[in-house]
This record gives sequence, C-alpha cells and structure tokens, in this order.
Amino acid sequence: MSDRRLSEEHLNAFIDGELDALEKNDVFKVLNNDNGLNQQACELRQLGELVRHAYEKPPEIEKYRKSDTSRGGTWRRAAAATLLLGLGTTLGWLGHQQSQPQVASDMSAMYWDEHNAFQNADLSLVTSAQHSKKIIVHLNTSSADSFEKALDTAEQLMETYADGDTGAEIEVVANASAVKMLRTSYSPYADRVRELQDRYLNLTFLACKDAMDHVRELEDLKTDVTLLPDVDVTPSALEHILNRLSEGWVYLNV
Amino acid sequence: MKVITNLCQHQQFKRSLGEYRANLYRIAYSWCHNPALADDLVQDALTKALKNSSQLRDPKTLKAWLYRILSNCWRDHFRRSRDTLDVDDVVLTDKDTPDTCHDRQQIINQVRNAIAYLPMGQRQVITLVDLEGCSYIEVAQILEVPIGTVMSRLSRARKALKQRLLEAEIKGGSNVHHLRTAT
Repeated sequence: MSDRRLSEEHLNAFIDGELDALEKNDVFKVLNNDNGLNQQACELRQLGELVRHAYEKPPEIEKYRKSDTSRGGTWRRAAAATLLLGLGTTLGWLGHQQSQPQVASDMSAMYWDEHNAFQNADLSLVTSAQHSKKIIVHLNTSSADSFEKALDTAEQLMETYADGDTGAEIEVVANASAVKMLRTSYSPYADRVRELQDRYLNLTFLACKDAMDHVRELEDLKTDVTLLPDVDVTPSALEHILNRLSEGWVYLNV
Repeated sequence: MKVITNLCQHQQFKRSLGEYRANLYRIAYSWCHNPALADDLVQDALTKALKNSSQLRDPKTLKAWLYRILSNCWRDHFRRSRDTLDVDDVVLTDKDTPDTCHDRQQIINQVRNAIAYLPMGQRQVITLVDLEGCSYIEVAQILEVPIGTVMSRLSRARKALKQRLLEAEIKGGSNVHHLRTAT
C-alpha cells in the first residue's frame, strides 16, 4: 500500500467494489489510520456522484431534433458554417503569422492524407494543416539518449499545444527494446516519467504487449514485465500507431 | 414449429435491445457530447447488434457486447470523419439551454466540460464504470484493452477530473463544496 500506484489504483478499485473480502479488509485498516486517504476515498465517491449527476438526463433526442428543425436548421447551419469558416481562416492566418509553434520545428512528422497515403512534413505545418494536436511519439530503441529526446519532445509539445487547448493529446509509445525504458527498476527515467505524467494529464505512456512478451520469453520470467506506474499497455504498438494515424493523429519517430 | 420459436427468440432479442437503448444513448452522449451524433451511433450499434445477433453466445454478456459494438461504431465514426468537419458537430451543442444559468445546470455543464477534456480512452473508461456500473473486466472486454490499462486510465481520469473541477470552482451542494476545499 505504500507504493503510490498501488495506493491510487487500489483505492479506486476499493471504491468501485472490485476487491475481494481480504483486500477490502486491508484497505479498511489503512483508511482507519490515515485521514488523508480517507478523505481521498470520499472525494472519489463524490466524483462518481457528480459524473452520474451530470449525465442523469442527457438531452432528449426528439426534442433536440425538433427544436433544430423549427429554427430553420439548414440555413442557420449553413450560415454559421460559412461564418466559422471565414473566422477560422482569418484566425488561422493571423495565428500563423504571429505564433508558429517554436518547438521541434526541425522534426519531420508523418501523417495520413485524405487518400490514406503517408506524407512527410514539418511538424508545425502538419499540426496546423491537419487541425490536429494529437501526436504520437514512437520509440523503438533502448538508447537512453533517444528516450531522453522523446521525453523532451513530449514535454515541449505539451508546453506548446496543451495550454488551454482541450484537443491536445500526446502518446509516447514504446515497442521493441524501448520497452526497457518504461520498466520498473530498469528505466533511468522513472522519476522524469512520473513528473511528466503528473504535470500533463493528457500525456500517456504506452508499452507494446508483444514486446513485453518477447522480453519475458528472453529473460525466462514467470510473470509479466513490470512497468512504471500509470504506463498503459497496448496489444500491438504498430497496430495502435496505424489506428491513431487513421484517426488523424500525427506521427513522430524519435 | 422451429420457425415460430426462432421468431419468438428474435422478438425477445429485439425487446432486450430496446431496453438498453436509453443506457446506450447516455453513454454515447457522454463520449461525444452531441445528441444527434449519439443517437446516430446508438442506431448504428443496434442495427449491427440485430444483424449479428448470432454472434452473441451468452445472453448474460449482452450488455458488454452492446457497449463493445457502440465503442467500435464510435471509433469508425472517428475514422470516417477525420477529414470532414460535420456542421452538426460544430453548431449544435446543448450549451445554450434556457436554464444554463441555473446552478444545477452550471454544475452539470462543468462536469461535462471536465469529462470532455479527458483523452478518449480515459473518458470511455470513467463513463462505463461510473455511469453504467461496468466492472473492470467488462470494461477491458468492451474496449479490448488489458485490465491494468483500465485501472490506470480510470485512476488518471479521476485525478484529472478532480483537478479540473477544483479549478472550475464549482459552487453548490455540500458534496461539491467538500470537493473544492479538499487538498
């Protein structure tokens, strides 16, 4: 329970009724002696209540469609779309003139165009052309320098794009030997990863399950490879990257 | 006789699907925050469920099976629409309701905004757990991810939600006040 990950995820599992009797007993004991944790548990319960409250009555679809038609939806939408397009173009032009992202300008990014063909371009140009601030940073070697560069890049991108922008999202995906950099007691960057995870909640680290299985086989391990706290697992990094590309994400290989 | 039995089973299956319609709409709305799109997704999911009813081996898993179809429809929608901007998505949000200023509506809007800010993976996990009461195993099956990923996404989602709701300084009921003053 002293491990931070255990404590947070375990507490969530406790709140959601996912623990067996013995585990629940352990959590009750800890809660009785830890006011901070007790309060955290209360907050988690209240968050659940808030989420349920927020969606208790989603908009009624019949009413919604009716009110849309009665307001002459088509013309209104067309006019609004034209206005938005004009506004977008103007703002985009002004933004382009005034504030080109200052980071990673030398970095070549990849994306799928409308014909699902790979295209290469400067990162800042791609993100503005694609209207996408969803970026996947891919790492496939265990070189410490590369990993540090990936972390620096992710941090710079978050600083540039995430501030006040609800659409910014970055994933750092490690496969092949790069998985080592996300392994507990192997990665020299555990603290930095933790710090970035805490600072940017839209930054996610993912490890490839195929690669983890390979490591497990190579090292003849009895259990799964242990990853750093809050690192997600994707069944196949390559498939994940292709999915993301098809969803309009921009790809960076460090 | 067999035809009649099949027909009855089919009708029964249709009824069961109908019972989930409101839940599916609620969860779809919590993912996309667009009533028209949520309704289309549910319609699409139910049509697919009906068409592929033979794939459901165990009726007890109907709920998880339906949510998985809905999640796939949502993913397909993303892929289809990535190059086009649907005007409906832009103009039609439900923010301008007459009672926007009402306290209750304000809280609802703030929570929905906080949910909308979450990355999609986290948004799906938290809504499936908190709104639909899905177990972690069910969520892992629905989204086709390992259970550890469900746990970490949920933990991060709640952490982010807490931060954003604290930032938003929700005022209102005692619950919320407690949240706001928590460290």
